[in-house]
Amino acid sequence: MSRGFNRLLESVVSINVRELAFESGARRYTSSLGSGVLMSEDGIVLTNAHVVSRRAVEINVTLSNLERVGARLVGWDHWTDLAVLRLDLEEVKRRGFKLSAARFGESEKLFPGQEVFAVGTPHGLTRTVTRGIVSNTNRYFEDTRGIGGYETGMFNTWLQTDAAINPGNSGGPLVTSDGKVVGISSRGYLGANNLGFAIPASTARVVLERLVQDGVVVRSYVGIVPGALQDLENFYALALNTGVLVSSVDPGSPAAKAGLRPGDILLSIDGARVDGRFPEQLPPIQNLIASRPIGSELRFSVKRAAETREFTVVTERLESRVGEEWALEKWGLSVRRVSRTYARENQLEGNDGAVVIGVQPGFPGDVAGIARGDILLKVNQQAINALDVLKQAHAAYEASPAPTLIETQRNRRVSLLIIKP
Amino acid sequence: MILILRLLRGAIPAALFGVSACAATPDLPALWSERVKCVVAVEYVTVTETERRPTVSMGTVVDAKGTIILQSVAIDPRAALWQLKEFKVYLPGEGDGKPAEYLGQDAFTGWHFVRAGDDTRTKLTPVTAFAGPTAPRKPVISEAVWGIGLRPKDEDFAPYILRSTVALVQAVPQLTAIAQQEVAAPGLPVFDAQGVLVGLAGPSGGQTFLQISRSGRPVPTMLINVEESSAFLVAGEVLPHVGRIPRDPSGRPLAWLGTYGLEPMDREVAKFLNLQAQSGAVVSEVLEGSPAETAGLKPRDIILALNGAPLPQLKPDRAVVAYLEREVERRIPGNKLALTVLRGTERVEVAVTLGDQPKLAREAERKFFDRLGFTAREPVYGDAVERRQRPGALAGVVAHFVKTGGPSATAGLRPDDWIREIDGTEVKDFAEATGRLGAIEGDKDRSEFVLLVARGSETAVLRVKLK
Repeated sequence: MSRGFNRLLESVVSINVRELAFESGARRYTSSLGSGVLMSEDGIVLTNAHVVSRRAVEINVTLSNLERVGARLVGWDHWTDLAVLRLDLEEVKRRGFKLSAARFGESEKLFPGQEVFAVGTPHGLTRTVTRGIVSNTNRYFEDTRGIGGYETGMFNTWLQTDAAINPGNSGGPLVTSDGKVVGISSRGYLGANNLGFAIPASTARVVLERLVQDGVVVRSYVGIVPGALQDLENFYALALNTGVLVSSVDPGSPAAKAGLRPGDILLSIDGARVDGRFPEQLPPIQNLIASRPIGSELRFSVKRAAETREFTVVTERLESRVGEEWALEKWGLSVRRVSRTYARENQLEGNDGAVVIGVQPGFPGDVAGIARGDILLKVNQQAINALDVLKQAHAAYEASPAPTLIETQRNRRVSLLIIKP
Repeated sequence: MILILRLLRGAIPAALFGVSACAATPDLPALWSERVKCVVAVEYVTVTETERRPTVSMGTVVDAKGTIILQSVAIDPRAALWQLKEFKVYLPGEGDGKPAEYLGQDAFTGWHFVRAGDDTRTKLTPVTAFAGPTAPRKPVISEAVWGIGLRPKDEDFAPYILRSTVALVQAVPQLTAIAQQEVAAPGLPVFDAQGVLVGLAGPSGGQTFLQISRSGRPVPTMLINVEESSAFLVAGEVLPHVGRIPRDPSGRPLAWLGTYGLEPMDREVAKFLNLQAQSGAVVSEVLEGSPAETAGLKPRDIILALNGAPLPQLKPDRAVVAYLEREVERRIPGNKLALTVLRGTERVEVAVTLGDQPKLAREAERKFFDRLGFTAREPVYGDAVERRQRPGALAGVVAHFVKTGGPSATAGLRPDDWIREIDGTEVKDFAEATGRLGAIEGDKDRSEFVLLVARGSETAVLRVKLK
């Protein structure tokens, strides 16, 4: 292999993570394994968001010299399934390790049939190299719960490869024969043969920069769910390759407030024509909106029935559907804050409350009749508008156990329950 | 004994015998041969867009006019009146059905009323004939009871006897007896050893079994016997209501309060709120434009008393909700209902004048478009409530039925989708929608049309190909 490829092998790492899990109604630890790639000499490691999440409490990185070094999470972006770690540089220095960084290649220039290699730790087998070709350079794949319940794939398309990608490969690089990183291996179809997917370097490069700088990728949100026009353009009497179908408008979103409606055809944004004929054209359009600063005024030109109208939409900050999580251990309940998206999906009246995501059998929460999926709305008649309200009530119970009144909602049905010692 | 009974039957009204004639030495075969005349099988056909579906259920004769009551589950509540056809009554052991008339459903008991034709009614004996001379008989624990079951249609609904022992009598909220084993077919009467009516069998409760396979763990499985039941409403919950024959087959007038999601308040909560042994029900939502809203009832109010009387303590807790619902259902629109509610820490009196139930889905207009492969239905109040829409503005039409494999089903239309736009233009009302859909259906050159549908909190554009 090329010198570049050999150098690349030195920058591929395996990652062991211990993370908190709340689902069981208690605080538990789980461990998992993935891959990553060193992208700078000062210890920046790029990996998948589903390998290292914000719940991680201990991260250990095994370098190519088989030595282990501690690391911490710098930033996390489930939308593109990317996370960035930083190695404990003092430890690296103290132990005299030399770090070798990989370099990005140009994923835009990849062509179907081009040879690529996946490097990683499938099933714990360190520094495994598999070979394949680029099967597709522009695969559309969206999942509203794909990354541990978080959304993914709305803002990028994926590279598809037949290089074997197995569990544990996640976060490892997909490289060309000269050792340039063109993608980050992310997922495969279980039960299928050689259908692997990677985040293209063009996306990874931008997200890496943002995460290193800010720790987060801030995106704008307007609340339209775009749909591919496919061959509907004749029906809507549109010029060829123009427009994207507004499939759905989130209630209460900026787009809804501006007056957009499902069934509208979005023709242009701030005068720039949009083309959403095919599904794989949708993520770039979503990204165009998302990459504008929060509070931007976007001018949407929209075709509705026979007429064309202009709408001004003011963007909001994009939020994840998964809210903050916590375990109320004395009650045997784990909860997740109701997010704006969750409230909208479930047609809740407001954003107050916490969803029960786990119940320990036999604990006071279970005995009171609380079940997974219930929404806790009030505790001792105080609205749960932040997890702190619940945490405080739980702490008070922990200090001196006393009957606690909980208002819950299950399928729009409101119940009062007592948690008691 | 049999001989005496036969002679008596010709001479005096049926109501006179029963306990008096049989008290000394009950002769079960004799009791049986008389009582089997108060049960029938009722068959009817539900006509849908694509099929005719026959249904059989068991009924009990309640008066000399040949009126028969069927359990509420006997008829699908979604079916419109005009879909229910060809009611027939079969006598036990007879393979030929005779025409009968559907009289409607009573809101309070849930019973459907059917009336047998002239030629049949003379062969029937009302169950009231076996009610006993005094107040309705209340079964007691450990007493022997028996009832009637009917074999399926291909066995000419041959009657057979079921015997059991009363194991438990409980108010849920109606006084219900649970027998040790199955004691009658659902909808058929239950008698004591003397042949006096003690109740009417309802749907059977489920029994949980463990299903054990060679691999894997035992899986709990609930089995429900649909042919025979071990639970029956006691006679005191049946006899006073057998005269509730609906004035109109539609079952109207129907009283309406307008609360959504009544939830029982358990004992612990009552104690916490210093209500001690008080029973109550939490109001989850108060529906827009409803009598409850007009009267000033608020979401999260806890109903404690009705017309000044505290709600009864019932077990399980849920039974208090059924109790409240029945208190509404037994009344008619215009009746007044005084509710005492706890709002925060305050007791508030709410005087509700019950309204008329808004149009139900089964009463809504609908039209089937065969070539398009779906039925459009006028949206009703309940559609809006279910979808958290404002019930004031009911534009569009609801997909009531979607033909499997039809063009609309292929395009992704599902039952209960709310059609907002047809071919990019908003749908105003049912008449306009059916006009436009009819035009599309009639236009043989049309190769496609587009629907905008709302489903939950999402909408979708569906493209329906007709060729």
